[in-house]
Amino acid sequence: MHSTMKNILALAVYAGEIMLKNGAETYRVEDTIIRICHAYNIPCVESFVTPTGIFVSIDPQDHNNDDNVITFIKRIQIRTIDLNKISQVNNFSRKLTTSYLSVEEGMDLLKKIDTLPKYPGLLKIIGAGIASAFFGLLLGSTYNDFFSSFFIAMIIYIAVSFIDKLHSNLFIQNFIGGAIAALLAIFSVNIDLGMNIDKIIISSIMILVPGVAITNAIRDYISGELLSGVARSAEAIIVAISIAVGVGAVMNTWIYFLGGL
Amino acid sequence: MLLQFIFSFLSTLGFAILFNIPKKSLIKASFVGGIGWIAYVYSNEKFHSLIVASFIGACIVAIISEIFARKFKETVTVFVIPGIIPLVPGAGMYYTMLAVIEKDFSRFASTGSETMFVAGGIAAAILIISSLTRMIFQVSRRKYRKNIETH
Repeated sequence: MHSTMKNILALAVYAGEIMLKNGAETYRVEDTIIRICHAYNIPCVESFVTPTGIFVSIDPQDHNNDDNVITFIKRIQIRTIDLNKISQVNNFSRKLTTSYLSVEEGMDLLKKIDTLPKYPGLLKIIGAGIASAFFGLLLGSTYNDFFSSFFIAMIIYIAVSFIDKLHSNLFIQNFIGGAIAALLAIFSVNIDLGMNIDKIIISSIMILVPGVAITNAIRDYISGELLSGVARSAEAIIVAISIAVGVGAVMNTWIYFLGGL
Repeated sequence: MLLQFIFSFLSTLGFAILFNIPKKSLIKASFVGGIGWIAYVYSNEKFHSLIVASFIGACIVAIISEIFARKFKETVTVFVIPGIIPLVPGAGMYYTMLAVIEKDFSRFASTGSETMFVAGGIAAAILIISSLTRMIFQVSRRKYRKNIETH
């Protein structure tokens, strides 16, 4: 009995981990963990989720094992956005409440979800280009700017995902992304491909910018999740600063040393 | 207006691919993004305030997302996150940080506070809509239960 309690808790925490790693809101992760434990008839669950870790305790309320409380802690270090996995885990927890699944079956299903493939690399690169280029048009850039931000965003995306593979940190990634954006924007204006450096830079760094993170942070603050609000806004501010430092470094070098040619 | 819709639709589509949303929801999420942007542009022309416009745009995004989520049995996040992307103050945040680096603190204060208010408006809109729908569904579920008990 004791070991199955442990397994159920491991299952719930694993489901939460997949969701949190892929950018789910903290309240949704807490909800899912509690729902999974309830589905296996564990009434007393307390879960506390922040963007950097999951803490769950269950009280088995079982007289055979001295009323031991079992606790699981899971550190989350890398966070990306993968909405497909969140939606899959959500379906999974809904399935658990309506029909019975053994813990082992559940674990297998979750493992399958965890290794689900993303869109192919080329499609994502083109997606980055499309996203930035059309965003530029929304901001009122010209068609020349459209083409240059399309290519710049693709190059940034390739570079950033390459750096990501080298296990770098958030700062370096976004710094390099911003620097590439500024360099190529200056270059494209100098060869008369683009017109407005400003608009090209803004639209091509859109794929790095933590807009969703800052909105989610404020959502957390308003709904009372103060700790995750702080964590998320700190992350957003660091990303924004590193992009700005990257762009600023290149722009200042260009203006002061090369006279803004 | 149609051109604006197409641009925001395609931009959202690009972000939806980056966020790896399920294949069957790609077009729907892009549609949400397009409609949200149209609402934003329209209310920006009407009220001349970025904050009000972002609030209204995000409200529309959240409402359509809740409807789509229930209709197509998907998580609301799948529609909301790509949908608010065109509205989100990414450029504002970038300008704010650039002002810090250039030591232009008055511009930092003005762009920074506007960015925070825009982000707050979007977040408030999503929160209000999601808690309203939760309340409405709670009421209708209770009614449904009462009907079962009485009949």
